[in-house]
Amino acid sequence: MDQAGSARVWAAIGASAHRDGSPVSLRHAIIASAELLAAAGAGLSVAHGGEPREPLLASGPVAEDLAELQFTLGEGPSVDATTRRSPVLVPDLAGASAHSRWPLFAPAATDAGVRAMFAFPVTAGAALVGVLDVYRAEPGSLGPQELADALVLADAVLVLALDERGGIASDLDNLLDIAVSSRRAPVHQATGMVAAQLGVPMTDALAALRAYAYTEGRRLSDVAADVLARKVRLSPSSPSGPCTTERDDSGSPGNQEE
Amino acid sequence: MATTDRRVREAFIELTDTLVRDFDIIDFLERLATRCTELLDVTACGVLLADHHGALTLVAASTEAARRLELAQVQNAEGPCMDAFHSGIPVQSGNLEQAGPRWPAFTAAARAAGFTAVQALPMRLREEGLGALNLLNAAPGPLDSDTVALGQALADAATIGIVHQRTVARQEMISEQMQAALTSRIVIEQAKGFLAERLGLGVDDAFTALRQYARDHNRRLTEVAAEVVAGGLNIGPIGDAGPGPARREEPW
Repeated sequence: MDQAGSARVWAAIGASAHRDGSPVSLRHAIIASAELLAAAGAGLSVAHGGEPREPLLASGPVAEDLAELQFTLGEGPSVDATTRRSPVLVPDLAGASAHSRWPLFAPAATDAGVRAMFAFPVTAGAALVGVLDVYRAEPGSLGPQELADALVLADAVLVLALDERGGIASDLDNLLDIAVSSRRAPVHQATGMVAAQLGVPMTDALAALRAYAYTEGRRLSDVAADVLARKVRLSPSSPSGPCTTERDDSGSPGNQEE
Repeated sequence: MATTDRRVREAFIELTDTLVRDFDIIDFLERLATRCTELLDVTACGVLLADHHGALTLVAASTEAARRLELAQVQNAEGPCMDAFHSGIPVQSGNLEQAGPRWPAFTAAARAAGFTAVQALPMRLREEGLGALNLLNAAPGPLDSDTVALGQALADAATIGIVHQRTVARQEMISEQMQAALTSRIVIEQAKGFLAERLGLGVDDAFTALRQYARDHNRRLTEVAAEVVAGGLNIGPIGDAGPGPARREEPW
């Protein structure tokens, strides 16, 4: 265990909390992650069913977009970090290897101004809790000290996520309320509506929503809002093929509005 | 000698093999006590393990006499196991008749049970004390250093086995709690959407219907939501007891 590294990481988290004038929380670990790793931003997603399912915290809109993009597309460094349970380091998202590995995500992330991305699984031994990811606007690798700090940061996230008895800390509980039951509620509600529309299980309904968002080139949250507003309705087509959609034509006729 | 070596090896494997589905700590400690009695050639062996508050309360032993003696240690809060547990170093008395006033209650109980010599070994991993092992002999005289060393090695193996098992059990608990915390929230949102579509309501009204149903049937909201999401529960609009467009029959 790198004592100095651990002290440096916790000092950065503490400093972030101090500036806020509030007790140390997961949010401060995310801010410290971006600072210590010279990153433009950082985010934390909670894993569910073997993928980074719920974006919990983001340092800003770009970090939030990266999480949603990966969830919509079902691919990206955070997805791989979850399935492989090991860090995924991408020094250049515009490079050929990143493009062949994530043909959908890499160009989309590059378009969003992200050039390097590093994803670290947050694990409690064999149990996967989530993924911590940081991104940079410029390409380049993490230095040895940054890499060591990142691993300590992933541990710090776990420590802050759990209370002293190993249960879920109230901070995490509140974040789950904000993330799952509030910010992301439309996606889950729309999933429920699509399940009822198509007469399929929730997992299939979510897959249909994701596929629709992807083929339309739209954000999942925007599609979900349209489903809830009953502007978009998914209907079953061939059993295995993509869903056709019925669109309310009260809006613009094309799909260029996004 | 070769037979003993093999039995020692087997004992070590047995004591570190704790990641079994139906692991039982008392069962494990009893096996530790039995293996120590066999391999160290002592009359009996007792084990005391600390509970999660740090108090020595879990008792196992190779014989009933040894078990009663260990229980007496717990009750009187005095004895070689207590000392070894708190100090982290081995404690021994080759002849309890000459032990003096060190452990008056323990000495009386040990002699009544027919034990004359004791050797207590700490069960400890780094800073963490888990418990202590008590080797008991009817005949007086200290155990030789090889026997004590092997006893400590067995105690160490068992300690690692217990710590490993506890860590894994804790990880499973964390994983289950995380999944439960997420799933319970997600299914409520999904059920709102599902009901909104089925009943032709907005999601807020659908939630009111969901909550009303849970309240009327004295059931937990998460539970009701999970059934709605699984397609197994049919909830009508508020104030409407009649069936909606159900796909499946209600379970009651």
